[in-house]
Amino acid sequence: MSQLEIKDLHISIGDKPIVKGLNLTVRQGEVHAIMGPNGTGKSTLAKAVAGHPDYAITRGDVLLGGKSILGMEPDERARGGLFLAFQYPSEIPGVSIANFLRAAVQARMAEGEELDASGYYKRLYAKMDMLKIDRKFTSRAVNEGFSGGEKKRCEILQMAMLEPKIALMDETDSGLDIDALRIVADGVNTLRAGVQAPGIVLITHYQRLLNYIVPDFVHVMHDGRIVKSGDKSLALELEEKGYDWVKQEVAATA
Amino acid sequence: MKPPTEIDAAEMTANPVAGIDQTKGDFKYDVKYDFDAGTGLNETTVRYISTVKKEAPWLLEFRLKALETFRKKPLPTHWATKDLENINFDKIRYYLSQGQKPKRTWDEVPDDIKHTFERLGIPEQERKFLAGVEAQFDSEAAYSNIKDIVAKQGVIFMNSTEALREHPEIFRKWFGKVIPTSDNKFSALNSAVFSGGSFIYVPPGVKVAQPLQAYFRINAENFGQFERTLIIADEGAEVVYMEGCTAPKFSTSTLHSAVVELVALKGAKIQYITVQNWANNVFNLVTKRGLAHEDAEIKWIDCNIGSRLTMKYPGVVLKGERARGEVLSIALANDGQHQDTGAKMIHAANNTTSNIIAKSISVGQGRSTYRGVVHIPKHLKGCKNNTECDALLINTNSRTDTYPAISVKGDRNATQHEASVSKVNEDMIFYMQSRGLTEAQAMSLAVNGFINDLARQFPMEYSVELKRLIDLEMEGSVG
Amino acid sequence: MSVSNTDALTGSFTREAFEAHLARVRHLPAWWLERKRAAYERFAALPMPGRTDEGWRFSKLGGLTLEGFALPPAIRLDQMAHRELGVTGAGHIVLANNRLVAREIVAPDLLRQGVIFDSLQNALLQHGDLVRAHLLAQPSKLGSDKFAALHEAFLEDGAFIHVPKNVEVALPLGIFHYASGAGAAVFPHTLVVADDNARVTIADLFLTAKPTQTPAPGPEAQFACGGHDLYAGHGAQVTYLAMQDWSRETLSFQFDAKVVRRDARVLSLNLHAGARQARHESFSQLQAPGAHSEMLALTVAHGTQEFDQRTLQIHQAPNTSSNLLYKNALLDQAKTIFSGLIVVDPDAQKTDAYQSNRNLMLSEEAEAHSLPGLEIQANDVRCTHGATSARIDREQEFYLESRGIKPAQAQELLVFGFFEEVLGKVEHAQLHDALTDIIREKFKAG
Repeated sequence: MSQLEIKDLHISIGDKPIVKGLNLTVRQGEVHAIMGPNGTGKSTLAKAVAGHPDYAITRGDVLLGGKSILGMEPDERARGGLFLAFQYPSEIPGVSIANFLRAAVQARMAEGEELDASGYYKRLYAKMDMLKIDRKFTSRAVNEGFSGGEKKRCEILQMAMLEPKIALMDETDSGLDIDALRIVADGVNTLRAGVQAPGIVLITHYQRLLNYIVPDFVHVMHDGRIVKSGDKSLALELEEKGYDWVKQEVAATA
Repeated sequence: MKPPTEIDAAEMTANPVAGIDQTKGDFKYDVKYDFDAGTGLNETTVRYISTVKKEAPWLLEFRLKALETFRKKPLPTHWATKDLENINFDKIRYYLSQGQKPKRTWDEVPDDIKHTFERLGIPEQERKFLAGVEAQFDSEAAYSNIKDIVAKQGVIFMNSTEALREHPEIFRKWFGKVIPTSDNKFSALNSAVFSGGSFIYVPPGVKVAQPLQAYFRINAENFGQFERTLIIADEGAEVVYMEGCTAPKFSTSTLHSAVVELVALKGAKIQYITVQNWANNVFNLVTKRGLAHEDAEIKWIDCNIGSRLTMKYPGVVLKGERARGEVLSIALANDGQHQDTGAKMIHAANNTTSNIIAKSISVGQGRSTYRGVVHIPKHLKGCKNNTECDALLINTNSRTDTYPAISVKGDRNATQHEASVSKVNEDMIFYMQSRGLTEAQAMSLAVNGFINDLARQFPMEYSVELKRLIDLEMEGSVG
Repeated sequence: MSVSNTDALTGSFTREAFEAHLARVRHLPAWWLERKRAAYERFAALPMPGRTDEGWRFSKLGGLTLEGFALPPAIRLDQMAHRELGVTGAGHIVLANNRLVAREIVAPDLLRQGVIFDSLQNALLQHGDLVRAHLLAQPSKLGSDKFAALHEAFLEDGAFIHVPKNVEVALPLGIFHYASGAGAAVFPHTLVVADDNARVTIADLFLTAKPTQTPAPGPEAQFACGGHDLYAGHGAQVTYLAMQDWSRETLSFQFDAKVVRRDARVLSLNLHAGARQARHESFSQLQAPGAHSEMLALTVAHGTQEFDQRTLQIHQAPNTSSNLLYKNALLDQAKTIFSGLIVVDPDAQKTDAYQSNRNLMLSEEAEAHSLPGLEIQANDVRCTHGATSARIDREQEFYLESRGIKPAQAQELLVFGFFEEVLGKVEHAQLHDALTDIIREKFKAG
């Protein structure tokens, strides 16, 4: 079983420290929710782990399957089994979803190995049907002109096609209406029920998503650290009491 | 005070407060001039100006050389409007004054001139929110004063005639360095016959809290005003300078041709605000440029409402790393007016950034033109420019042009330019009318909304004035 | 041809050269001969572009020399390698060194329907009035009066397409203009007249011929001075795709004029890959309500190539629309200039016009100049333009890489995506793929 281990991680943007000593271990098949108010470093954590060049890791380590990934390029991390579902996926004009995903699948194959096109499309269409994405989408440019819900479904589609070991899902619920949220959650739950279920880190501001994707663990992030962890009941408690309660608790113990 | 676009029908119909409408400048006094260089331009004119100013020999030489350059240079009509050909340089009076030494108190200013500036509200503004004022009447400053508290910080603020005498060492170091005489025909003309304008020096680290202001008044017919302004903000210094201007409406044309040079040394910030409200017979042909050193910031806020033809493209030469340049421009062209304005951003160091936002409104047969240059030469990296130009056309025969030129070298720099032309959104007008506003009121609000984000950048007193000027210009544009 | 004592204003194109050209092309209609003579006089009298010519801002004027060229000898089709487009077409015309070398009409019903697909020379003799009404009938407005006059003076042969009223040519027509041999001066021209409600798709290729013999010759400096006239009558739909791939030593001028009538739609796409210095002037007139012109261009600029593109879209009637998208991919020390102008005439209310220039900077030394202009004299319009110059978007790059795609491939996908935004507007699938292949090949070949 592959796992993601984040050890005493410190991340800066420019000179500004954002994440200040974060520890988290996620095993394959587990669902961890990271919750917290805006500006506590949740999205920074996701992007830095995926290898975004604007984020500097100043201390600590990130291991995937026991191996540090900090020296790896973003594409190497991805081929190693890491997947980031973006909060704001890039629009890529002129590059169709079909070509894009084929390039991504091909990149995971050995040198000289040819992609079985008919098998690829069969698999792609099956995943699209599951996510209720019109097949016409395959010829559309990646995310270009997509609604918020379409973009998020397209992220889940990629996750389903690329079969990661660990998936970081950054605010996947933001901007979704209730129907779109259900479709996305169904998609994630289907992957979760599969044989090779990935470890999932759900980064979210609201408890709402967790009604549909029930987490095994809930962590509260504040000021660049995880300050409280628990099971799904912690999320409900947060929903009821808000985040101030956790902040006060942190202040009291500090 | 309400923000300029708030819907308030009562305020819309209120009479413009005295002293801030566009016709406020349309009056004149018969002033007796003790110094008059006569009509037309030749070497004698230049020598006369230099003599009455008791200038050093180098300056006379500089002026005479500039006169030569002016004569040699053709009018730039291969790209600019042919209307320039209607300027008759032989019919202009190049120097008129009552004396070369401005007064330090309003009481000492001769009555007619004092009354002029009182009608324009200058002494009142000075009391309310300014750190210093210079009031130029035709060729020379009639009044010049700086608050003690600012002067004590070592800030120098005086007219350029005085400054050349009292601070030649600082003046000469930068004079003509940002805008060389030969930059264009009109910078050469100014260099030959300049008189008045401001000189400001802000010592290292000094941040002037209130704006300094200059007011330029043309009183005489067939006159040409050629002020020369030089502002130097030393390392880490900050200053805001504002200028306003008016002239009576004459049947013949008047020429205003200034040169303004700004120097922001390392980490300094200069903000230069203009509300140009010349009468509709003034040719306003002005060269303005700033030199921004390392980490410095120069911001031009340029608003053109008056004049017959304005040609003005404030520029910033981004000479030091991480320097920032900005031009925010508002132009309003009514019948018989051509506002040919824009910006120049010359990147000359790594990681420099520039931003241009230009909004124009053409009313009736008015014509507004945006002309821009953005230049990022080879081997620079991390340079960025953003340009946005939006034009609003009010009437069926209103006109607008956009002529940007953007040059970029290399893959480490980025530029982005966007422009749009549209009329006022009819749904928006209908919405406001459905709430009881007249079409004219709705139109005025829509136009104010169009420039609101830029008008906001002006000091409050100016943005209120701007809004009222626009309301006045919009009167009679619909129906 | 004597090159010893040429006039600075005419270069190789001396009066003697002109007379020699006229002597060769006998049987010209009188009106055409008269126009050619007048054009030569204009050419010889007009000055070369100078520093203060606004229409030549940023252009390398030193590269415009007219010396060292000559009207080339004839060449047969079997003496050169003809490049098939790989598209099922209705027919094709091949011209080489200013002469017709092949014509084939595959779809026989075209002739029955009255479609004319012939050489310009034949058309001048057989359809004089039609040619006269449209050939070089639009003024040169974008700065190249001198070179446009040169084109008219020396124009020998080209392609003529006439599609009568209500006729649809379902399959594309192909035209190949070849230049062969060092110093060859060619004056290609394509004249398209689509009558009311006609439909036609044309692929127009401008190429330096590769000889069939090996070894291939060294550098082949050539001179190409051509263009097209395109008339779209009421309700007509014309798709015009051009590919310029002259040798890398060629000086190229291309003057395009389009007239779009009521409810007509014209889509033109110019691909630019060849030449040392290539000037393209494109003039679109939207003359009647409902007219629409889609003006597209895609340039792949390598080495020290200069691509100088000047466009004018004039809206002369109410309710017309135009959409211009010019994209340049710049490598090495290449240079591009885009200078475009949207003009809305005083009565052309409800105009919808768009103009966009995107420069993809792929090297540290490439140089892009953008001059997107507007002159608007009607108020009830929607006119916008945009220009950007930048490298590949870093967030897009990261997005692709975060899916496991290797950096080099991510970059290629993004560059081809940049091309596809333009190529994607070609609805004809085979043509789309053929052009895509050519552009990708050009990009990779360097």
